[in-house]
Formats: sequence, C-alpha cells, structure tokens
Amino acid sequence: MWLSILGLILGVSLGLLTDIRIPPEYANYLSIAVLAALDTLFGGIRAHLQQVYDDRVFVSGFFFNILLAAGLAFLGVHLGVDLYLAAIFAFGVRLFQNIAVIRRILLSKWTDKKSIRESV
Amino acid sequence: MKKPNSRKRENVSKSIVFSLVFLVLGFILSYSYSLSQSDDGSDNFTANSQFEQEESFREELIEQQERNKTLREEMQSKQAVLQEFESEFSSGQEDYSDIASEAEKLRRYVGLMPVEGEGLKIILEDGEYGTQAVNPNDYIVHESHVFQVIHEMYIAGAEAVAVNGQRIHSNSTIVCTGPVIEVDGVKYPAPFTIEAIGKPDVLAASIELPGGVLDQLVNDNIVVTMDEGLEITMPALLSES
Repeated sequence: MWLSILGLILGVSLGLLTDIRIPPEYANYLSIAVLAALDTLFGGIRAHLQQVYDDRVFVSGFFFNILLAAGLAFLGVHLGVDLYLAAIFAFGVRLFQNIAVIRRILLSKWTDKKSIRESV
Repeated sequence: MKKPNSRKRENVSKSIVFSLVFLVLGFILSYSYSLSQSDDGSDNFTANSQFEQEESFREELIEQQERNKTLREEMQSKQAVLQEFESEFSSGQEDYSDIASEAEKLRRYVGLMPVEGEGLKIILEDGEYGTQAVNPNDYIVHESHVFQVIHEMYIAGAEAVAVNGQRIHSNSTIVCTGPVIEVDGVKYPAPFTIEAIGKPDVLAASIELPGGVLDQLVNDNIVVTMDEGLEITMPALLSES
C-alpha cells in the first residue's frame, strides 16, 4: 500500500519535473493514454469490489489499454480518420459504467451496514 | 509456516506491481497536466490540427492586416509631413535663390570673389607738358581725378572698380604722394588705368555727362582714353586691409 503511494508520488513528481518537450501533436496520444489509464484503474477498483479482481488482468489491461489507445490515435492521425474518437468513446463509456457500478456497490454496502447496525 | 510466507511474498510482488502501475499513472497524469499548462491549453485534444493551424494562420493574418493598417496610417501621416516639408522647401528655395544672388552681388561689391564681365576702361595720362606752362601740377593726374572717376563709376552702378588692376574696396585708400599715387599702399605712376564692371553704356554716359567728370578732366589737361564694352576680369581681394 505504502509502496504504491510512494510510486504515485514519485510518478507525479517525475512528470512535473521532466523538461522534455514533445511536439503538440503527440500530446493527443498522451491524453488518450490518460483516459485509458483512468478507465483501467476504475475497472480494477470495480473488479476488486465485485471480487473478480485479477492481478494479471489488471496490470496487462493497464499497459495494453494505454498502448492501444495511443496506437489507435496515432493510426487515426496518419490515416486521416478520427480513430481517437473511438478510443475516447469506448473508454469514456466504460469509465462512466465502472464508476456507476462502484457507486452502486458502495451504496448497497453502506445500506447493508446501516440496516445491520439498526437491527443490532 | 510455508503458506503465510508465500502469501507475504505474493503481497510484496503485488505491491511492487501496483507501485509500478501508479508510477506510470502519476507520471502520465502530471506530465499531460504540465504539458497542457505550458501550452496554455491550446492542445486539449483536437486531432484536427488543420483547424488549429487555420485558426492560427487566420489570427496571424488579422494581426498582419492590423499592422499593415497602422503602418499605412503612419505612412500617410509621414507623407503629409513630407508634403509640408516639400512645399516649405520650394518656397524656401525661392528665398534661397534670392538670398544667394544677393549674396553674390554683395560679394562682388565687397570684393571677396573674382569678377568678370563687361565694363568700362578709362586711362588717365598726364597731359603734354607745354613750354608755356607755369605750373607742372596743372598737367599731371592727381588723386582727386582718380577719386572723381571712381566715384562716378560707383554712382553709375559699377559692381567692381580696379585701379591698375588692383581692386578697390570700401576701405581702400588712395593717397597722392608726389608724382605717384598710392592705392592701398601700392604705388603706381601715371598712366592710371581705371576699370569698372557694370553696364558699359551707362558708365560711359555718366562719365561723358556734359559738365561732368570727362569735361573736368579735359579741363585739367589730362589725356583720357575710354574703352567701352571690354570683357574685364578682376581678381578677388586677398589681403585684408
């Protein structure tokens, strides 16, 4: 747990401190990657709450989704088709779905706890 | 004993993997954040960079047009100033030409520059010394004669006068010292050649006025020779007296 927080802090500071300027057209890929990473993260949380969580699936999904989203955007730019829209759409919908599922699970857990306490 | 150990190891590897994942996540997030900060959010996600380019070009064009406009206005104001200058200059040029011609005229009078032009040449010679004469002074040219001639020339509008080739100026001194005349310290014997630059006919007429200078000179037994319309050149006055 602490190690992962340390990793997060390290990553944030590394990202803020890097002075490498990439050309603006590549920033698009990065934003897609951000979306993919967030989606995978929430997917992992949801899977954990649903007790179907798997380490390998999560880690591979995390990196693979990032690469796929960036590759899709890259391909789209070079083909002249707005393929990044597909990535945004897919990840956006999944993001909302995941968050909705998490919310529902948390809500049900909360109400369960409350009813148990009341019954006690 | 074995089971918790392996579980612990699993936990450690899990947390390592998680830390790696979070490291990547944090890096991506903060990096894109700093990127968007540095590019003032212009590249929020718009892959149609053509549109962006168009926009930027349009902005540039507008900027250039505005610049052109201001430059044009500046040019117009400058042109107005230029026009003012030109009109001033043309009127000033007339003044200048007037002033320049006046200066040249004055310079001629003062004797600062060599003069060249038509004029009159008068040679005064001593008269024949007759045997019946009582006083030889009646037969020689005195400085008063030279004075008379010079004054008459100036009155008749001569621009420059010279005696024996020596320019006469406003402070010239002509002194009679016995048989010779001293013009500005230079001694000249008779005959005296008085040259004047001006209108030859006017000068001649003024000299030949009845009862005028010529008559008086002749009355004083002086031999006068006049040459009209000669091209006369006079040197500039070099010495200050």
